[in-house]
Amino acid sequence: MKKNFLILLVLLLAPVLLSQVLWAKVYIDIRSPSFRKFPIALAPFKALTLPSQDMKLGERGREILREDLDISGFFSLLTPETSPEKTEGAPPAPERGTAPESPDLQPWANLGAEALVTGVITYKDGSLTLEARLYDVVKKELIVGKRYIGEVTDLSRMVHRFADEIVFALTGEQGLFQTQIIFVSTVGKNKELFLMDWDGRNVTQITHHNSIILSPRVSPDGTKVVFTSYKMGNPDLFIKDLRTGEERRISSFPGLNMSPAWSPDGKRLALTLSKDGNPEIYTMNPDGSGLVRLTNHPAIDVSPTWSPDGQKIGFVSSRGGNPQIYIMEANGQNVQRLTFEGTYNTHPSWSPRGDRIAFDASLGGGRNICTIRPDGSDLRVLSANLGKCEIPSWSPDGRHLIFSSDRDGGPHIFLMDAEGTRIKRLTFQRGSDSYSYWIPRMREPK
Amino acid sequence: MLKKSSWWLVILVCVVAIGFLVTGCSKKSLVKEEAAGRQAPATETKKEPPPAAPMAPPTVEAQAAPPAPAPAPEAKVEAAPPAAPEAIDLAGLRLQFAFDDYSLSSKSKENLEKLAGWMKKEEMAKIQIEGHTCDIGTNEYNLALGERRANSAKTYLEGLGVGSSRISTISYGEERPLVPNSDEANRSKNRRDEFVMAK
Repeated sequence: MKKNFLILLVLLLAPVLLSQVLWAKVYIDIRSPSFRKFPIALAPFKALTLPSQDMKLGERGREILREDLDISGFFSLLTPETSPEKTEGAPPAPERGTAPESPDLQPWANLGAEALVTGVITYKDGSLTLEARLYDVVKKELIVGKRYIGEVTDLSRMVHRFADEIVFALTGEQGLFQTQIIFVSTVGKNKELFLMDWDGRNVTQITHHNSIILSPRVSPDGTKVVFTSYKMGNPDLFIKDLRTGEERRISSFPGLNMSPAWSPDGKRLALTLSKDGNPEIYTMNPDGSGLVRLTNHPAIDVSPTWSPDGQKIGFVSSRGGNPQIYIMEANGQNVQRLTFEGTYNTHPSWSPRGDRIAFDASLGGGRNICTIRPDGSDLRVLSANLGKCEIPSWSPDGRHLIFSSDRDGGPHIFLMDAEGTRIKRLTFQRGSDSYSYWIPRMREPK
Repeated sequence: MLKKSSWWLVILVCVVAIGFLVTGCSKKSLVKEEAAGRQAPATETKKEPPPAAPMAPPTVEAQAAPPAPAPAPEAKVEAAPPAAPEAIDLAGLRLQFAFDDYSLSSKSKENLEKLAGWMKKEEMAKIQIEGHTCDIGTNEYNLALGERRANSAKTYLEGLGVGSSRISTISYGEERPLVPNSDEANRSKNRRDEFVMAK
């Protein structure tokens, strides 16, 4: 009891303490209307390897970091071919395996940088070490320094971790460079679930149903995925623990069991069932119990998405004659039509920041990713000249969207920021990739 | 006696027809298992080709044939010619739909009347109606649309006196296109109901 109280006290105080810490640290106020990109320099990474093992580790490491920081949209990047420091005559001794104690920051200030990142990558006896540092060029001091040790295949993940350190140190916001994306990809004639890092690296297959799998959605704590599979013949819902791989069927009513969506607290699933003769939205517990019907309309009702406060549910309905986005209370009351432009709007996805809903639409010529405010104002068509774009999913920070596009065949998974710029193709497998879902940061339950 | 044997022929022809027409994996694995018999290597070799040869059931059968030499091909040669005129061409009865629509055209109703007539004669026959869509819109909506297309056909068959226990439905949405969704003409072909024999 006493212990619980103490924990509670700490929890209550944590935001206060944390915000003060963050206040002291923030270099970039990314929420400010006068936000300008923060000039950061990336010094060429030094690679300490045997000459016979030159794997361009330094170049690769810096390029991964450059991509990460560029995608974030917070930075203007300076990546000179050679360092402006005058240390040509005295390269650091390889045996030490550490960066020089402090680089000469003035030449970087002269280039216009306000922060500098240095990196040293050592590959020795099968072990890869990245030592990275972030300096304040103006105050001429170290902000954060980290050393990561792993295998040679861990390079991108080491760099991602330091990229998160940089974003956190300079903005006070959690970066998303260690997050993952789940998606559906073809294996032969079947469709299976795959995981990859947010940047498209480290793709791994996680199901072997030898069937059709659709609509994976991951729990808010990042530990479980619910999806539809035809494994047993009918489109049923399954739940899979992403840590243990354990899998269970949770909904197998006659007809469709599909389009699951986790409530923000992870306690309920919204889903579509057609067991009553017509596709309707229901909610249930993630173990399949406690079913409650929300919609009651002879038209098609599918693809629910929760508002981040858990109060509302957006969904697709054909009750107006063609598929449009609607919003209702989480108990099914007060259904309001949200979209009026375009004749084919599907797959709504509510931003984790709550301010916009993304969906795919036959608007702006072809199929495009659009966003709209939850009050129906400010409709924007984001994707342009990207082919058929469908199934948007927000990044955990609400600053980016992933979706499928057939611009290069496929379709493949693409990434763009919430303004529709900085487009990056993420998947390069054979076959078609779809149903990408950006996984929230994994948190251990309790 | 005669009736029973012809019924088996019909089934056989239909199974072959399904093999050619439907990309449904459950059916195909059924065919594979029969042909491969006890020989483990055969299943292995068959697992590999699918990515290279999509939508090519005939080759799958050809590959399956060598390990189990005589029975399968012979049965097919015997079965096909005499049964063909009597068998119902389920693929030929496929129903087409307009974009984002699940209502039955007069041609569709005609096909369903043919099917109902046949089902009344073949009292043991059970069918599954598969609802399919083109690739426009997301599959969650298309699965719902495909289910509606399948249900439209089921309801009409029931109205013609076919027992509902003999008709099952499943929606594949856009997951099992008949032809690639490369242009509007092809997309239009994919907006359909297929009929397959059910157990």
